[in-house]
Amino acid sequence: MNLNLVIIVSVAFAIAAYLVSKVNDKAGAFMTVAGSMFALVTVFLLRNSIGSEISFLYFNFNLTVTGWYFSLVMLTAYSMTAFFNPFWMKKLIYPAGYNFLYLLSMAGTLGVFFAKDFITLFVFWETVVWSSAFIIQMGKSRQAAYVYYVISAIGSMATLFAIMFAYGTTGTFVINEAFKGLAGYPGRAIVIFITFIAAGMAKIGIFPFHVWLPSAHGSAPHTFSPVLSGGLVKMGAFVALLSVTAFPAYEIFKDMASFRGIPLPIYFMMALGAISIVAGTLMAIKQEDAKKLLAYSSVANGGYILIGLLMLDQVGFAGGMMHIVNHAVASAAAFLSIAAVAYRTGTTKMSEMGGMIHRMPVTYLVYLIAIISMAGIPPMGGFVSKWLIFQGLADKGLIFLATTAFFGSIGSFLYVFRPLSAVFLGQTFTRDLEKKEVGFFMMFPMLILTLLSLLTGVFPNIFLRVVVEIQSAFGMLPVTLAENTIVTSNGFLDAFRVFIVFGFGFAIAFVLFVIRRKSRKVELMDTFTSAEFIHTRELLHYSHSFYAPFERLYEKAPDTMKLYHKAAVKINELGNMAESAFFGIRPARTVLLVMGMVLIVIIAGGVL
Amino acid sequence: MGALNFLYAFLMLLLVFIFQTTLTGLNRKVTARLQKRYGARWYQQFLDIFKALRKDSTSHGWVFDFGVIMALGGIMATVTFIPVAGFRAFPGTDNVFVISYLLAVGMLGMAMSAAGSGNPWASIGVGRALTNMLAYDIPLMVVIFTMIFAFDSASVGQLAEMQQGMGILGWNFFRMPLGGIVAVIALLGMLGKKPFDSFIAPAEIASGPMVEYGGKHLGFMFILHEFMTFIEVSLIINLFFGGGATIWEYMLKYAILYTFTNIISGVMPRFKIDQAVKYFYRVPLAMAIIQGLVVIFTGLGVTIWF
Repeated sequence: MNLNLVIIVSVAFAIAAYLVSKVNDKAGAFMTVAGSMFALVTVFLLRNSIGSEISFLYFNFNLTVTGWYFSLVMLTAYSMTAFFNPFWMKKLIYPAGYNFLYLLSMAGTLGVFFAKDFITLFVFWETVVWSSAFIIQMGKSRQAAYVYYVISAIGSMATLFAIMFAYGTTGTFVINEAFKGLAGYPGRAIVIFITFIAAGMAKIGIFPFHVWLPSAHGSAPHTFSPVLSGGLVKMGAFVALLSVTAFPAYEIFKDMASFRGIPLPIYFMMALGAISIVAGTLMAIKQEDAKKLLAYSSVANGGYILIGLLMLDQVGFAGGMMHIVNHAVASAAAFLSIAAVAYRTGTTKMSEMGGMIHRMPVTYLVYLIAIISMAGIPPMGGFVSKWLIFQGLADKGLIFLATTAFFGSIGSFLYVFRPLSAVFLGQTFTRDLEKKEVGFFMMFPMLILTLLSLLTGVFPNIFLRVVVEIQSAFGMLPVTLAENTIVTSNGFLDAFRVFIVFGFGFAIAFVLFVIRRKSRKVELMDTFTSAEFIHTRELLHYSHSFYAPFERLYEKAPDTMKLYHKAAVKINELGNMAESAFFGIRPARTVLLVMGMVLIVIIAGGVL
Repeated sequence: MGALNFLYAFLMLLLVFIFQTTLTGLNRKVTARLQKRYGARWYQQFLDIFKALRKDSTSHGWVFDFGVIMALGGIMATVTFIPVAGFRAFPGTDNVFVISYLLAVGMLGMAMSAAGSGNPWASIGVGRALTNMLAYDIPLMVVIFTMIFAFDSASVGQLAEMQQGMGILGWNFFRMPLGGIVAVIALLGMLGKKPFDSFIAPAEIASGPMVEYGGKHLGFMFILHEFMTFIEVSLIINLFFGGGATIWEYMLKYAILYTFTNIISGVMPRFKIDQAVKYFYRVPLAMAIIQGLVVIFTGLGVTIWF
């Protein structure tokens, strides 16, 4: 089966899902499972035809190993999340539309990753943006969809400009050729680099475009947030990747001023990634809504991915590519487990839940493994990719980026622990005492993602071998892999060995624990309370503003969204002024003034 | 990685436990003398641990137990990664990032177990502990980053060996003095010594992570604390004080540094947790970055320079 057919069948699945949902929405939702699983399997089988090119109508595709890698990540997020869809049909206003757009956006991402020319890239890109914007507004807030759409539009328009500018300079739309031809025009190349990468930055949620993530992730339907964070955000990473590989940024900017070997335009983008890490971490720490918290963590992780990819070296780049997989898997799993809790309790506010571990132990374990990976703790995948990024940064001596990377990494312990403690640990609320674990159909995708997190952490080389192919395809020195070991110039990591030793430690501790006298089980409410009598479970649960002393330190920090609002008000005022000048009492005066100014400019221009 | 490695690892755990617990006992005496008390006997710490292990305990559900096991397991695994005077239980696992992040498994387990007890005081303690970690770890990591850049190695053992054979001035503490001072300050934070002890709150038992522990759970926490102390002090000894050519040299340096932190702790007041964060981000972080810039841009400190 070739790529054309995969995309056509996916779109056909989308239409079929729409029609079926009109009759029976649950059956339509099962179509999304079937459609996404179909795409996952067929794209996986495309492995053998990598290197071929296909044309279809106006679209030209190029089966690269990079596209294959990215689409598998994306389709994993889509197909695993699809298992949740049937259970959310009752909560959506337009179930048929949801199912249709779910599969349509999925088909769109495939087109983006395999695009050979800009037109294909742009058309499919916009398909994804539009269809996901319509899904987001089915959630809690329409405002979120507006913000998402406006930010995406800014990115898309910038990219369109870059595409047209590159076409005007080199006369071709084929991505590789158009960008390679820019080598003779460094001035134009800077403009094109910055505008082209803008769409990617907007999608991946890099500062100052990060404002859409918390609102969109936080208020999208619970079944779409995992796709947004685990999948769609990675489209931005793909564009960032194009802007340093297809667009030979390092070659074109090599004569410019640089900081430790990184040309300033690229370093500037990496610095934005670093700001995202810090801003995302600080904001995530103070969220009260579990989904918003995870959304801000996506901002921070987007920063890691961007820094890793833009390094374009042997180690850091591999770390960035690896982090795409790890973050997709971990974040999808975390969002799904929060969705599972919300399915039972009806809320994602952390202060309204507690002690869910005693009702939903499997969901708890899924969340635990996901956050271990997300915080970059061995033996899960997130550690391997962060390790590679740290090694890459240390090798180059990029001290400021490294400082922020460390901050984000330790800061992630703080924020991932909050939902763990507030939602799953502590006292179970009275109204939740009778809640049950979710059914197997919902548990299945969560367990698969959990196993994937473990797999990437224990046998990272399975994934890194593909990364090696990608690096070779771009003509870079690939990361060195031995049997189980990753070798860098600064050291090596044998993830399997770390896992085994961890198991050894755990086994000793377990034996020690078991041979000691069995402990008496007591009720959760039976705790030390300084001689107070507290009988309300809710009062004995500490979850609101968990890091209050720390949050106090930066409570006065400016809010980007507020700055945008202020700017909007100013622009509005400016418009009103112009309007009153031209359509006020004496328009003739304004016209004369403008004409006079134009005249002065012309004369001044002539004299100079 | 054969059976012999696991045997070495097991023996190492045993010896580390005996060594560190003895040292803790001796240091209780040192602290007591600072406060003009007589102090407990040197083996009192052993008695405390074994007494706790023998007593009845209560459990607040499976995550309360599981967290304790995960914490001790993770910490013990980390101990076996620490190179001691050229000895490594598992060769090739002493990467500094592996050690500092594997340590986090133990901390996560501890935090999970404490929050799982259902006592809000424990959760407050955990929140403080994590905030404290965010404070001390960034300056320390920046210094370690500088060191990896300077010596092209992230292996703790190699970094220690590179400082040996050049006399006392070969130690990174003297080659990178600002970084060395940062590391010792960060060590105070890691160990939970004053002025950075507000998260353990040893003087107010009822408002720290330990509030619900008793019996074998508390015993586990004591053992865990000894192991964690060993990891943290060993990291600094290996990275900044040249490790040890022989085991005796290593133990001597270790004992001196550990006692030094206790003496500092004995005469210090306590920071509130947000004050600790402010302090670490103002002074040590600035020092760490200046040290890093000096090393990266001038090369001063890579070789012995005075």
